[in-house]
Amino acid sequence: MLRSLIGKFESPQLATLRSISLFSEIASGELRTILGLLHHRTYLKDEVIFDEGEEGQAIYFILRGKVLICRQGEPVEGMIAELGVGQCFGEMALLDSAPRMAQVRATEACSLDVLFRDDFLRLIQTHSHIASKLSLELARMMGERLRQTVNSFVL
Amino acid sequence: MTTSPSRIGPVTWCGIIVGTCLLLFLFQKILWLVVPFLLALLLYYLLAPLSNRLVLAGWSTNLAATLLSGAFLLVVVGALLLIYPRVIANADEWQSTVMRYLEGGARVIEAVLHEMQQNFSFLRKGNLSVELREKTLGYAEQFSDKHLGGVIFIVVAWLPSLILAPIIAYFLLKDGGKLRKLIGETVPNAYFEKTLYLMHALDQTARQYFVGMFKLTVIDAVFLVFGLWILGAPSPLTLGLIAAVLGWIPFIGPIIGCVLAVMVTATDFPGQISLVYAVVGLFALLRVLDDFIFMPFVIGKTMSIHPLLTVLMFFVGEAIAGVAGLMLVIPILGIVMVMGETLEIIFRDTRLKARYAYARQLHQRAANADLELRER
Repeated sequence: MLRSLIGKFESPQLATLRSISLFSEIASGELRTILGLLHHRTYLKDEVIFDEGEEGQAIYFILRGKVLICRQGEPVEGMIAELGVGQCFGEMALLDSAPRMAQVRATEACSLDVLFRDDFLRLIQTHSHIASKLSLELARMMGERLRQTVNSFVL
Repeated sequence: MTTSPSRIGPVTWCGIIVGTCLLLFLFQKILWLVVPFLLALLLYYLLAPLSNRLVLAGWSTNLAATLLSGAFLLVVVGALLLIYPRVIANADEWQSTVMRYLEGGARVIEAVLHEMQQNFSFLRKGNLSVELREKTLGYAEQFSDKHLGGVIFIVVAWLPSLILAPIIAYFLLKDGGKLRKLIGETVPNAYFEKTLYLMHALDQTARQYFVGMFKLTVIDAVFLVFGLWILGAPSPLTLGLIAAVLGWIPFIGPIIGCVLAVMVTATDFPGQISLVYAVVGLFALLRVLDDFIFMPFVIGKTMSIHPLLTVLMFFVGEAIAGVAGLMLVIPILGIVMVMGETLEIIFRDTRLKARYAYARQLHQRAANADLELRER
């Protein structure tokens, strides 16, 4: 109840950010700190967000629109997933600088927030409690995706 | 499509060297702004870990920046207020002290040359020691009339711009993140991640250099203060600190520091030429330790510039901007190198260019969507 009451007084920017599953457990004050680190980008329909094999530097959060994750240059046959508002992609870039595993394209006009790896690493140093919450949510999300992948092979 | 391996080509190298020279030329023209900005950068990198600790303890970024920069400004202003009356009150005494030390230096030169003339016959023909002593004493006599006023005027003229440093550092601490976001927003989507990486790399390079140089100054100061104290030289603390700070000027700085220490030692301990030699030996030992142990260990390989290029760039820097060029050339070269390397990766990446062109077409099409001519 308290959370819904606080939600009513949150700025539109914070409210939008809260719609992202990764930030659902993070308090308003902490969310404001994260907001200070995020870069805002807009993409048109069909615009490439990043390519497969590119060195990853950041994680992307979808605030508006949809994106398609697919094999490089194969949006139909190579489709891996379609993500919408509240979801994120490119999360492996927060962990290491390994090449991107797939291409991501905007299937609708998109608004995205971007967290750069260096900013995340700085967050671990300056606001370890926020970074640990974020890391836990990230681990949960990756576990869930792994579970889905395993299930898709088994079933 | 993928990122090219990090390698600087000959064209980029030319661009880096030309860019460094142009920046040095430009910076020389606005030195009054560049020096406080560089000091502010140094201060920013030194205060940033403290600011992070305060933020971690629950303070806001603004409050932490205000507290730290304000505290530093107070210390600087307090020190100036403390020193200024003493400088004014003892101005006459300082003039005579400078002359006394210059005379002491002249005596050392005479003694050394005299000793050399005893050992080398070709030096005996010319009356070098007497000539040099007369010239040095002449310079010493004219120093207070010709140069001291100028030196004091330069120091006074630089003070207001040096007070700018903590103010700039405050804004860097407070709005550094916003500035990076602002720069990021100006970049097209295709180059966005690479630009973020470039900003990060520039930040890392500058941080390693400035913090490394500060640590090196502390190590040099401790080494010299203890070394001079063990040798029994006069004013080891003052001389050690001054010589360590002068070390920021490549080549000339350590020599000036050594000459100062020699002059003071020779004046305060006349006739003890062995002590003067020991002081020179201490400075020579520090040079070797700096070049082969301290500098590689403290500054690391971030500024991985070939030694030959470093020496050449020192000459180029000195030719373009004098002493300021000597001091600025290596950090500027390091930063321009990182920029050149990243920009080469970006411009050689045909896939990024293609993505940028494609995005522009999409934007064009979106802008023209309802503007197509229709048949009547």
